[in-house]
Parts: sequence; structure tokens; C-alpha cells
Amino acid sequence: MSRDPRIAPHAGDAGGDAPRDPRSQLLTAYVDGVTELSPDERRGVEAWLADDPAARRESDAVHAVLDQLRALPPNAGEVAEPDWAAMERSIRQAVATEPIRPWWRRWQWLVPAMTCATAAAVLLVIWPRPAPVMAPPHRHVPEPVATEPTTTEPTTTEPTTTDGVVALWLDGSEVDVDLAATEPLGDAGFEIGGAPRDDAADDGDDGDEVGLLPATDLVWVDRLDDAALDRAERWLAGPENAGGSTGRRNPGGAASPAGPTGRASPSRKKS
Amino acid sequence: MTVADPDHELAERFRDGERGAFDLLVRRHQKGMWRLIRRYVKSDADAADVTQLAFMRAFRGLAGFRGTATVRSWLYRIAINCALSWLRDHRREQPTEIAEDALTDDNPAPAQLSARDDRARLRAAIALLPPKQKLVLELRVFDDLSFKEVSDLADCSENTAKVNFHYAVKRLRDILGADHEP
Repeated sequence: MSRDPRIAPHAGDAGGDAPRDPRSQLLTAYVDGVTELSPDERRGVEAWLADDPAARRESDAVHAVLDQLRALPPNAGEVAEPDWAAMERSIRQAVATEPIRPWWRRWQWLVPAMTCATAAAVLLVIWPRPAPVMAPPHRHVPEPVATEPTTTEPTTTEPTTTDGVVALWLDGSEVDVDLAATEPLGDAGFEIGGAPRDDAADDGDDGDEVGLLPATDLVWVDRLDDAALDRAERWLAGPENAGGSTGRRNPGGAASPAGPTGRASPSRKKS
Repeated sequence: MTVADPDHELAERFRDGERGAFDLLVRRHQKGMWRLIRRYVKSDADAADVTQLAFMRAFRGLAGFRGTATVRSWLYRIAINCALSWLRDHRREQPTEIAEDALTDDNPAPAQLSARDDRARLRAAIALLPPKQKLVLELRVFDDLSFKEVSDLADCSENTAKVNFHYAVKRLRDILGADHEP
């Protein structure tokens, strides 16, 4: 045999380390009970025992120790075993009031229910929704002005005239234009004149209003000197005209009184 | 659940609400439980009390028993835990010989074994084994557990249990000296 049987590992527990000779461990397990070995291990130990007399001696020694151990009473000294029937009764009485199922088992169904509910809530939150379909912008059609003498169709968007005031639909808002203020311009005032329109200089918001005033009649603007233009600019920027241009930009269509009507009013023209 | 576990059906019946199944488990394992506990608790009456306590804990936990080990090794685990807990609570009342620290005295000389009787010598030699080797040896020899069950109770792998058993037997041979040498 290749190992010294007196070399015993006395240094504490064999915590998972393989023995120095795995065959010895297998031999001990073999002697203790062959069913604890796999068929291959059993065949290996039996072959070892058949070939090596020292292995047979070791097997006999292990047999002797195990026989002594199994002959030993499990407990030291005189042990008086209890009355097993009495112990059984006392255990039965002790657990008589105990419920078989722990309390949480009665609510065990809550676990899958809560899981499903949580999953559904998460899905609702993260589910990709289609982009909301935007309703087409509502185009406000101005109510026809009830005037007896005019025969304007109720649904028309043509300018309607009432008592010298023409209702125009400009830039999404209804604008009342005092015809008296535009009378001097005549019919030509509603046409873009021969003067070339300077789109680059235009601020872009007033383009719809160009038709209100004839370009040919704006030459007086060109004759204004710089001081007059500065005064006009200051006046337009003044607090009384602060809402003039913004009112027309209101998408709701509610133009301020100082809006386009004001621009077309005689007082504006005077300034 | 181990397929060969004869207590598996009883555990299932208990989970289904049959109290009588637990009574059968008590009848089947109370002796082994008591003997196991008695090796820790050096009083017959105290061992009976600890056994009852262990069965009460088993009753409360059996419905949640997952079956990763046999019911017997699970019960024995509860028994060992209850015994150790009882020892902690009654440390001063116990004889010093059962203190676990006393069992870790490595490599005692055979001359230290004063007992003349072979049984007393063997029991003294067992008491001098390292705790894990002692536990594995006792569970294997006295409680007749398989190495799988021993490994479950000793918190180790089956192979480690075999190695510890091998070392325990070898050490007993060395402690007992030439008596067992051919």
C-alpha cells in the first residue's frame, strides 16, 4: 500500500478537502455501506482489496471500529427512554390549537393577483399610444351680418357692409373697417396699386392689409421727413398702441380695438 | 423532494389539511429525535421537552417545507437546532463535559483516556473528535442516516461528509491505539 495508515489528519474538520488518499475514504465508505458508493467506486475499491493485502488489513480495522461503534449505545450512561405514547399525546395536545397552514398561506392567492395587477398597470403606463389625432383647425365663419337692405348670402365671407362699416375677415379675425375713414381712397383703395410692393421690407404680418390702402396713395409717407417718421414710430410704440399689432396675432380671432381697425382709422392716418 | 423519501406522502397529506399525517410523523420519528437530542441534552426529561418543542416547530413549518431534503433530515435539523438553542439557554446548568469547546481538543494522547472500559474509551474518543467529525460520525452510526442526509444536517457536501466520516474513523483507530491494529 502506498500510504502510511498512521498518518491521520488530526487537524480539525475535513472541511471539504479531499483526503490524502481518496481510496482510503472510499474504503471507509465501502466498509460502512456499499450502497453509498457508485458502481464505479465500488468496483475500484473491490479491485484494490483484491490486489492489496494492506487494503484488506485496513478494511478489517475499519470494520472493527465500526462494529464497536454500532454496538455502542447512542447515549452515554443509563438512559431511561420516555413513554413514547405519552410523548405522542403531549405533542398532539401541544399542536392542537395550531393552525396547519400559516396565516400567510390563506392570502397566498394575493401574490399572483398583485403580480398581474402590477404588470397590467406597468403595461398601461409604458404601452406606446398612437399620436392623438388633431382635429382640423376650426375655421371660424363669421355670422352674416343681419342687414335688411343687403342680400348677402348668410354663409359668404365677402365683406358685408352695415351703416358705413364693412366687416372683413382678415388674418383669422373679424375686422370692422369704417368706410368713412376709407372713403377718400375710393374703390381703388381695395386694389394693390401700381407701385411695386416691397415684400422684403414688409414685416410679414401686414401683407393681408396691403389691400386696404392703395399703394399709390402712400406716397405721402415717402414725403415724411425723418423727424416725422420718428414721431410716428414713437407714437405707434406708445402705450396706447401697445396692443395694436398683437391683437391681430391672436389666434382666437378676437382683435383688439386698436388693431387693424385702428390702423385704418383716420386718426392713424393723421399721425 | 427525494423520490425515496417515505415521509413525502405524509407531508403532502399534512399540507392538504390532515392533522393525522403529522401524528404519524411523530410516531415514526420521535424516538430518533429524542435520541439525537439526548446526545446534546444530558437529561432524559429535558430531552423529552426539547423533542416536544422540536415537533411543535416542525408542525408550524411543515406546510412550508419545500422538500429539498428528506422529511427525516429536515426534522433532525430542527431537533439539532432546538437542542443547541436549549444548550445556549441552559449553559450553566449543563455539565462541562458536553460543552462544545471541550470537544475541539485536537490530537489527545491515548494516555489521556482514563477509562478502562472499552465502551467508555470509545465514547471518550468520540467526545474528543472535532465537532464536525463527531456530528457526522454520530449521525451516520447512531442515527443511521445516509451520507446525503448527513450532509444536509451538517451543512456540507455529501463528499465532505464522507471525508469527515473517514477521518473520524481513522482518528478513533489512532486514539484507541493498537487495539484495532492487525
